[in-house]
Amino acid sequence: MDLALRDVRRHAGKFVATSAGVGMLLAIVLVMNGIYRGNIFDGVWLIDNTRADLWVVEHGRGGPFNESSRMSGEAHRSVAAVPGVARASPFIAYAAQRSLAGASQQFTIVGYDVFGGLGGPGRLAAGRGIEAAHREAVVDARLGLALHESFALGAHAYTVVGLTRGAVDPAGNPLVYLSLPDAQEVLYQQDSHALVAARAASARRLERAGFGSAEAARLLPLLAPSSATVNAVLVEVAPGRDVEDVRRHVQQWLHFSAYTAEEERNLMLEGRLKKMSAVLGLFRSLLVVVSIVIIALIVYVLTIEKIRPIATLKLIGASNATIVRMILEQSLLLTAGSFAVAYALLQLVRERFPRTLILLPEEIALTFAVMLAGGVLASFLAIAHALRTPPSLALGS
Amino acid sequence: MAVLEVERLSKVFGTGETAVHALREVTVSVDAGELAALLGPSGSGKSTLLLCTSLIEPPSAGAIAVRGRAVWRDGAALVDARRFRRENIGFVFQGHNLIPFLTAEENVALAMQLAGVGRREAARRARDLLGYLEVGHRAGALPATLSGGERQRVAIGRALANEPPIVFADEPTAALDTERGMKVMALLRRVAREKRSAVIAVTHDERMIEGFDTVYEMNDGRLAQKLHAPAPWKRAPHPSTAAAPSGPASSWA
Repeated sequence: MDLALRDVRRHAGKFVATSAGVGMLLAIVLVMNGIYRGNIFDGVWLIDNTRADLWVVEHGRGGPFNESSRMSGEAHRSVAAVPGVARASPFIAYAAQRSLAGASQQFTIVGYDVFGGLGGPGRLAAGRGIEAAHREAVVDARLGLALHESFALGAHAYTVVGLTRGAVDPAGNPLVYLSLPDAQEVLYQQDSHALVAARAASARRLERAGFGSAEAARLLPLLAPSSATVNAVLVEVAPGRDVEDVRRHVQQWLHFSAYTAEEERNLMLEGRLKKMSAVLGLFRSLLVVVSIVIIALIVYVLTIEKIRPIATLKLIGASNATIVRMILEQSLLLTAGSFAVAYALLQLVRERFPRTLILLPEEIALTFAVMLAGGVLASFLAIAHALRTPPSLALGS
Repeated sequence: MAVLEVERLSKVFGTGETAVHALREVTVSVDAGELAALLGPSGSGKSTLLLCTSLIEPPSAGAIAVRGRAVWRDGAALVDARRFRRENIGFVFQGHNLIPFLTAEENVALAMQLAGVGRREAARRARDLLGYLEVGHRAGALPATLSGGERQRVAIGRALANEPPIVFADEPTAALDTERGMKVMALLRRVAREKRSAVIAVTHDERMIEGFDTVYEMNDGRLAQKLHAPAPWKRAPHPSTAAAPSGPASSWA
C-alpha cells in the first residue's frame, strides 16, 4: 500500500497549495537561471552577431562597449590597407533614450556601412536590410514599431524597412540600425539653443585671443566639433591569413588597439558582465539553498504532523523501510509537484518577461535533479525524527 | 492452554537513586479465549507490563513466552520485535489511533499487507472482517467521518487483521459513553470467544469490570490481586467443541 500517495490524495488541497507555494519559489530559481544565461547572451550578442574577425578601437581603450572609443571617420581606410585585411568597416554604437512608438524607450543605435560593410543586422525577422544611404532603419521588434512605419529621430523621420527579433545591446536594450552618416547625425546633432551657445563660446574665445568680431565669425566653422568620428573599425581577415599578424600590424603601424572577436567577448564577460553574473549566480545559489531548506521544513512539518500514525505503524509492525519510503516519496512528490508548477509558471511569463530569458533544457534538468537530490537530503531530518520515534508513543507513553 | 506466560518480569527505569521499579517480578498467564483486565492506578505498571510483553520496552529481568515459545529470556529478545508484534499481537488503543489518511478498509488491510498478504487478498479479508465487526458499510469511510464506536470497531478489526493469539487493548472504552463502551466490551468478548485470542485490556473503567473473565489488579509494579477467577460460563469454548454458551443474563452479550 502506497502510504505517501494516499496521504497526498486525502490532503490534495494542502498538497496543491504547498506545491504552488514552493513552485513559485522554484519559478524564481528558474527565472534567475534564465536571467543569468540571458545576461551573458545579451552581453555578447552584438559581438557574436557582428562576426568581425578583429575589433579595431582607439589606442589603449577597451572599447567600444566597455569603454568609449573615438576614431577618425577615415580610420577604416588605413586599416583596409593593412596586408591580410579583406574588409574594414566603420562602426558606431551608442545608447539613446528617445520617444518611440508612443513611449520613452532606451535602445542602442548602431551605425554601419550599409553598402557591403560589416556590422549590419544579419538575419531579419521581416522586411529587408537598409539599401538607401539615408532615412531607412532596421529595428528590433521589441521597440513596438511595425514594418514600413515611420518614426522621428532627431531632425528626420526614418522608415522601418526591416525587423529583427532579439537584437540587443549588452544591457539587453533593443537595437536600431541606421546607415553610418544617419547614426552620426543623430549622435552629434545639437539642439539649436545648444548650437548657439557653443558658437557664442567659441566666438568669445577667438575674441579673447585677439581676433576681431568679423574675423572670429569667419573662423567659427573651423571650430565646429567634428561629426565624422566612429567608435570602431570592424575587420574581416582574408581567407588563409593569420588574424594575429593582421592585429600586430594594425597595433604597430596604425597605433590602434585591436581585439579578436574572442578577446572582445572576454572583455565583455570579464568586465562589464562579470559582477552582474556573479551577483545573479549568487542569488541563484542562495535561492536553490533556500528552496531546499523550505522543502526540508515542509517535509519535516508534514512528518511531525504524522508522528502518531508513524508510531502506530511501528507498533503494528511496519518496518523502517516502509516509514522511510513514505517520507521520501512525499518529499519527492512535493519537489516534483513544485517543479511542475514552476515550469508551468515559467512558460507563462517567459514571452512577456522584460529581460531575455535563456532556458537551456540541460540546465532545467540539472536544476530539477539538484532540487530532487536536495529534497531527498532534506527529508533525512524528518526520517531521522521518524525513526527515533518510539512505538510506545502510539500508546500515549 | 496458556497463550501468554510472563514469569518474574521486572522493569527498572533509570539507575541508582533515581531508579524507578515499574514492574517487580510480575508473573501472569493468560489463556486462549480469555478476556483479562489489568486494573490499577496510574503509575502502577499496567502500561509498562503491556509495553514489555509486546517487546516495545525491553524488560530488565524475567521471561516471556507466547504459545509456549520463549520470546524474551535472560535480558535478550529471542525474536525480531517488530515481526513478533506483527504476527502475534493486535493493539486496540484508547484513541483508536487509526491512520487518518486511510479508509477503514485500508487501515485493516494495511496491517495484513505489513504481514505479507497481497493487496487484493488483504482488501477482501479486510472487508470480511469489517463485516464481522458490523462496520462493513463504513469500509470506504475515513476515520474522521466515523463515530467513536465505529472507529473503535475498525481499530479492533485492525488488531485482528492477522489473527493474532494476543490482543492488547489500552483503555479501549475510556473515550466512549457507557452504551458504546458496553458494545465494544461485547465485541472484545466475542473476539476472545470466537477468534480464540487472549484479550488483555488495561483499564480504569470500573463500569466494564463485570465483563471480564479475569481481573488483575496492579499496584506499585506488582500484580497485587486477582479479583475473581474466570467463571466457567464466561470462558470461551473452542468453536470446534461447542457452540458459544449463552450463560446468565449479561449486559456484555
